[in-house]
Amino acid sequence: MASELMTMPYYKVNILTGTKAAKVVSEPAEAASIIDKATNPLYVFGAEVIDSPVGDKLLIDFALDIAKSRNIPICATAHVKKKMMELGVLPDSTYDIIEIVHFLKDKNWMGVRGKGFHDLVLFTGVRCDLAERGLSTLKHFAPHLKTFAICRRSHPNADFAVPIITKTEKWRGYLEGVIGELGTA
Amino acid sequence: MSKGKLREEEIRRIIRADDEWEPVGPTPMPSLTDLRNWDFRLLDTYEPFYAPFCDLCCLCTFGKCDLTGDKKGACGIDIAAQQARWILICSLMGTAAHGAHGRHMIEHLIEKYGEDFKIDLGSQVNVEAPIIRTVMGLKPENLGDLRKAIEYVEREMIHLVSATHMGQEGSYRDFESKAFHAGMLDHVALEAADIAQIVGYGLPTSIADTALVDLGWGAIDVKKPTIVVVGHNAVTANAIVDYLRQHDLYDKVEVAGLCCTALDMTRYDSGAKVIGPLSRQRFFLKAGLADVVVTDEQCVVTDIPQMASEAGAAMVACSDKICYGLEEASAKTADEILQDMLENQKQFLILDSEKAAEVIVRAALALAPVRQERKKIMTQEEAALVSAKCRGTCEACNRACPNLLPINVAINQARQGDFAKLGSVFLRCIGCAKCEEACVNDIPIQKVMQAAAASDTYKIRAGRGPIHDVEIRKVGSPIVLGTIPGVVLFAGCSNFPGDIDDVAWLAEELARRKYIVTLSGCAAMAASMRKDEDGKTIYEKYIPEFDAGCIVNVGSCVSNAHVVGAAIKIANIFATLPNRANFELMADYILNRVGACGVVWGPYSQKALSIGTGAVRWGIPVVLGPHGSKYRRLFMSKKEAGDWNVIDGRTKQVVNTEEPTPEHMMLVTETKERALVTIIKQCFRRNDTPPGRAIKLNSYISAYKQVIGGLPDDLQNFVRTEKEIPIVYKREVIAYLKEVGWKPKTVLSLPTIIGTYETKVPIEATIK
Repeated sequence: MASELMTMPYYKVNILTGTKAAKVVSEPAEAASIIDKATNPLYVFGAEVIDSPVGDKLLIDFALDIAKSRNIPICATAHVKKKMMELGVLPDSTYDIIEIVHFLKDKNWMGVRGKGFHDLVLFTGVRCDLAERGLSTLKHFAPHLKTFAICRRSHPNADFAVPIITKTEKWRGYLEGVIGELGTA
Repeated sequence: MSKGKLREEEIRRIIRADDEWEPVGPTPMPSLTDLRNWDFRLLDTYEPFYAPFCDLCCLCTFGKCDLTGDKKGACGIDIAAQQARWILICSLMGTAAHGAHGRHMIEHLIEKYGEDFKIDLGSQVNVEAPIIRTVMGLKPENLGDLRKAIEYVEREMIHLVSATHMGQEGSYRDFESKAFHAGMLDHVALEAADIAQIVGYGLPTSIADTALVDLGWGAIDVKKPTIVVVGHNAVTANAIVDYLRQHDLYDKVEVAGLCCTALDMTRYDSGAKVIGPLSRQRFFLKAGLADVVVTDEQCVVTDIPQMASEAGAAMVACSDKICYGLEEASAKTADEILQDMLENQKQFLILDSEKAAEVIVRAALALAPVRQERKKIMTQEEAALVSAKCRGTCEACNRACPNLLPINVAINQARQGDFAKLGSVFLRCIGCAKCEEACVNDIPIQKVMQAAAASDTYKIRAGRGPIHDVEIRKVGSPIVLGTIPGVVLFAGCSNFPGDIDDVAWLAEELARRKYIVTLSGCAAMAASMRKDEDGKTIYEKYIPEFDAGCIVNVGSCVSNAHVVGAAIKIANIFATLPNRANFELMADYILNRVGACGVVWGPYSQKALSIGTGAVRWGIPVVLGPHGSKYRRLFMSKKEAGDWNVIDGRTKQVVNTEEPTPEHMMLVTETKERALVTIIKQCFRRNDTPPGRAIKLNSYISAYKQVIGGLPDDLQNFVRTEKEIPIVYKREVIAYLKEVGWKPKTVLSLPTIIGTYETKVPIEATIK
């Protein structure tokens, strides 16, 4: 049976107008497996990680746990760096969202830690309409990498997308599930 | 196909080449490919960045064609060229909108005053049309000359539109070059249109301290007969003002506007009022506060006849661009039209502006007494009642919202009597009403917002038009040296990602850092919608001059031309470089020496795209809000890994400056905080002197620390010598530079990219 494909995301402005749609990653274990397979991943944090509550925590708390679990370098876009500094973490890059996508297009770019191109790029907290455009760029112009939108609103232009999760408890469960599956590095 | 001799002679005739104000430069009235090498040189450093909005091409009946990844259409086009083709198409729409506006305005005024009607912009403005002078080589003297400018735009556009046909252009770089051409033509049209209305209607010019005008829906005295004009062409709006004056009715009738017609009307008469930008159209019209709704052209929501009808208001369309299927009634008498309008609620198209004005005013006078009961906004009790069915669980409204707003929560709380959330949603609402359409309970969400919307009155300064030559003489040197850190233009629409007053925050952050801040159009309106503790808007707090730390409203969309014009004037008046038919020379000067940056924080329209694309060809970088990503194309460098070679004008040698300035030519930022530091960075120029660069770096570091935190991690790209490190940050910055292995860079006083590509312009021309 073919995998479920994401063509109808939460936001109608992001409805796919094309033929190549994201694979929906419904299970946290599958999400963790995708992350585990990457040899040089990158995690892009968007501005919403610092002001989106998920239960009694912020989205950034979960995103940081995912990044820490596999020592994934972080690109803090927008003004996310300030909150990260408050949390005692320094990002590996502060390119803004469009800048990092621009560099990711280039297979010869050495990546944020100078180890060569990133083969998997995770996105969390980028404003959904903007994220979708960046994912579209990478879908068309960066065949050397895969994208995974870890976003409850779902993104059809990613290679992998979380299904639409409207309930906060379920979203928290998904994130905790991914973190739990990844364990510690 | 190159220009033939006959065409060259025709061009010389059109621009009166024998007039001796300046020698004719290399590119009079450039055609599609005349500036292609310049464009390609820009594209070498600033690559197009594409974010496809649609993976298909549906333009011809070969298709639909799937262009995903490396697939090609049946015609052979690939995804990059298809994006660039869309950009050209959309830029042409924008250029056509401004050009047609100019054409209509100029023809209307020629009908009234004749084509020999002189252009006189007052004692402070001698270089009256820097864009037309530079692009065409024509020094326009009268309305007839402005018509020549529009005719040039029209001539070029037919070729550009042709290039978008199936089986024509196939290279994304050439599509981009053509889009640049469309953008540049747009600027010609903007300038012609605004000069025409300034001279034809006596709008402010050669004055900085224009009147402070009321803005906001609360500013409208709806007890009076209320006329609301919507759009971007003030011919009919000004005729309404004339009619009211002639009949001694001006203080008895309220005239207000939405979008740029409002701005231009307040330039004509400061007693008129501005309701707000495009995002407030539906909100206000659904409130039913207008007795007569008048539409002209551009950015007018297309369901206005329906809204007017539902509100029991009369409605008159006045432009051949927007006819709504209505009967054109110019041949009828005003009495006949009024009878049908008042007795049968019939709506009309009236292209005769004087007749339209009479009908509109008389209709407002007749309707106002009988409409008083309908001119009431929804109370909180009523709003809670009509929202009663909402449980905030289906989220259909949220999913439909193109600005991603949490409408369900706001309506659900309003249902329970708490309107705070709805008030904050209103500040971010772009007024599309998609939420209402999606609501399964048919809750009139836009109306419910009336109960939550603040009805404050704000002050905006009426648009002042051109920047004065004397101002250019004063600021030219500090701008070029970098000691005035930059000139920033906030232009464009009200598709803001966040609060409507974020533009005011950005403008003020820059003004207090001594940038010259200019605004136009919907951005200028939004910037007034924020008051300080003393209740003052930025227009009341800052001096309205073109100088460091000042804030200037130039006017409507077409007034954007004056800010580009100011950049040209710096090269022409301050640096005394000839601008006549000298596009590359002017653009090269701006790119390398004039720290200017355009900002469209709420982009939505094709007009804003064409303005921005034109700015890039002039060498002015553009920063867009997040919705700008849906234009699907940006221009970005590879930062320090890019091509930053220039010619040193003194030695004529190629020098790798190793500094990415300006860093990008068009990019999107996600938040206002990031926009602030990005705008500051886009004002760096290779020509900055060490003291000037120090001032710019001081702004960059202080803003970065304020909104992002810590030192910028790209300082090594912009610090050229230790002298440039701001004293207050010296220890910290030196330690950082040491850590990253920074090395000093060359500082040039005459950088130019003329000579780094094939051009008719000699390097010597860049030096005076």
